[in-house]
Amino acid sequence: MAEILFYVLSAAALLFGLGVVLAKSPMMSVLSLLGSFFCLAVIYLLAGFQFLAAAQILVYAGAILVLFLFVIMLLNLGELGAIAERSNSFLDSTAARIGAVIAVGMGVVGLAAASRAAFQPVRVEPGKGLDGLEAIATELFGRYSLAFEAASILLLATMVAVIALAKRQRRGLKNGGRA
Amino acid sequence: MNPQDLLQLFDERAIEAVRPLLALSAGLIILLLSGVFDGLKALRGPIVVATLLFGGWLTASNFVTQPGVVLDGTYSADRAASAWGLLFVVATLLAWLFSHHYYAEDERPFQLEHDVLMLTTPIGMMLMGGAQNLIVFFVGLEILSIPLYALASFRRSRARSVEAGLKYFLLGAFAAAFFLYGSSLIYAATGTVQLAEIKAIGIHGPLALAGVALLMASLFFKISVFPFHLWVPDVYQGSPTPVTALMATGTKAAAFAFLLNAMFMLPAKAAVLVAVVALVTMALGNLGALAQTDVKRMLAYSGIAHAGTVLLVVAGTLAGDPESGGALHAALFYMGAYVFTAAGAFGLLALLERDGERFTSLESLKGLAHRRPVVAAALTLFMLSLGGIPATGGFLGKWMVFSSLVRAGLIWPAVIGALLSVIALGYYLRVVIAMYMQPASDRDAATQSVRGASAMPATLAAGVCAVFVLVMGVLPSLFLDRLP
Repeated sequence: MAEILFYVLSAAALLFGLGVVLAKSPMMSVLSLLGSFFCLAVIYLLAGFQFLAAAQILVYAGAILVLFLFVIMLLNLGELGAIAERSNSFLDSTAARIGAVIAVGMGVVGLAAASRAAFQPVRVEPGKGLDGLEAIATELFGRYSLAFEAASILLLATMVAVIALAKRQRRGLKNGGRA
Repeated sequence: MNPQDLLQLFDERAIEAVRPLLALSAGLIILLLSGVFDGLKALRGPIVVATLLFGGWLTASNFVTQPGVVLDGTYSADRAASAWGLLFVVATLLAWLFSHHYYAEDERPFQLEHDVLMLTTPIGMMLMGGAQNLIVFFVGLEILSIPLYALASFRRSRARSVEAGLKYFLLGAFAAAFFLYGSSLIYAATGTVQLAEIKAIGIHGPLALAGVALLMASLFFKISVFPFHLWVPDVYQGSPTPVTALMATGTKAAAFAFLLNAMFMLPAKAAVLVAVVALVTMALGNLGALAQTDVKRMLAYSGIAHAGTVLLVVAGTLAGDPESGGALHAALFYMGAYVFTAAGAFGLLALLERDGERFTSLESLKGLAHRRPVVAAALTLFMLSLGGIPATGGFLGKWMVFSSLVRAGLIWPAVIGALLSVIALGYYLRVVIAMYMQPASDRDAATQSVRGASAMPATLAAGVCAVFVLVMGVLPSLFLDRLP
């Protein structure tokens, strides 16, 4: 039962993924992405990662996609038809074809490699498991404490970078443009 | 793992190992806070310099005490990592000094953001250089890359700068995705992302090999090796020149530091392939540079050629260089010389560049020896070192790379590589000829006025670069005896 569910969900996730790329309107792309995220979350659940599944729904489906939707609505990107007509259709289609070939090639390589490889089972200590907050916290604050702490610097740097790029420059102000 | 075990992770050795990272992060936050108060504006420069010097000093002390591999094997602060770390701090400090008063008056309001972003990069580089774990490396890579994306497009009023930032960002994001996909395949095949554990299990089977290939593709993108080098000319030319200096020296050194740690993943059979890729890179870089009339773009192509040269070291090791540590020595010394030379060359261009792109063109350098003899002499020194003329640091670096190849039995790549280095002299000397043997057109002489005292930090940095290039060439034992 679980196995059938896994294959159904995987196929659905792939179809939604295709929908993200192929949809004509950005809104449909975002909604397809939402479907793909939900399928992934259920796959996590099937594998026994309750916390990851919840985080996937809360963070990706909840926060990030809502942000996407806001941006699309605020910028009024409902229709891309006008942009598509203006761009050089020959170059675009060639680039798209090359990109598609590379993507399919990588997928095939990955699948072929995966089907022939002997997977090393993830080492889970008995009684510990990988789901549950405690196990994840132990990994985060144990082995990956450095990467975890460094991520804070990364977020800080990203914030400064975005502000530096987006801040409006006001000319002729004595205090150097700071509002 | 219970709390007691967790505490044991953070023993004295671990704290000692990450002290440079902590110091740089603390300085970064102090600098950011100083932006809140206008009264502290004068202190910002000293804060940047003090942070970098303190971080460098702590790295140097790690070089002596060698805390080793810490934090459950994810981060290493041994001699090699500390030597690379010193190089990263120096590269950042030089780039920052060159950025002083580089930007036009109307771009200054963003000086604080500029300095903060620049001060973030060595943290990322150190994480990359010391990473013993793919995830730690990835976080370091992003800490380095994201500030650079923003810095590349920092001159927002110029189309070229914005184009450079956007190109670098899009391609860099793809490279990051490749790295993650590769890591996930390696994890699926081996069950770990820890370098030491991957080494123990070994890379077997197509899944792990596909992962390694993707991993290497993203590393090759960062060090700008064929066929992932196409972004370099546009990005290097479009970015503000001090940022280009940082990209050319820091990013490349950091990616190489990790590549040397991770090259055990490549099968020994790949030696010839890597050698061919390196030689093609050298050929494309050198031939591309020959055709350029813009010095900044020419130096970008030269950077590609130099990346190819250092990559030969990897080929030598895979082919079985009998001298252990030979690859590390050669790469460290070569990149050390390259950091000072390239930073110096880009820095002098930044010094000369006043407004608009035409001041980086070969045309505008004509007759420079008469107008500014000292600058012309220093630029000549850097060009000679880039070309690998004896008595400069660049020569010895090249010699170490090629002798490592010969020891490994790869004779023909060494010969072809040496020949390609000779071609490179063709364009380096063209700059020297323009400066010394061709008269300036009147228009240029009229517009180039001598700068005031504001050029002091940049002049100082260029002087330091020149001294190091000479000392590394004349007294290399000063550095070689201390290498790990």
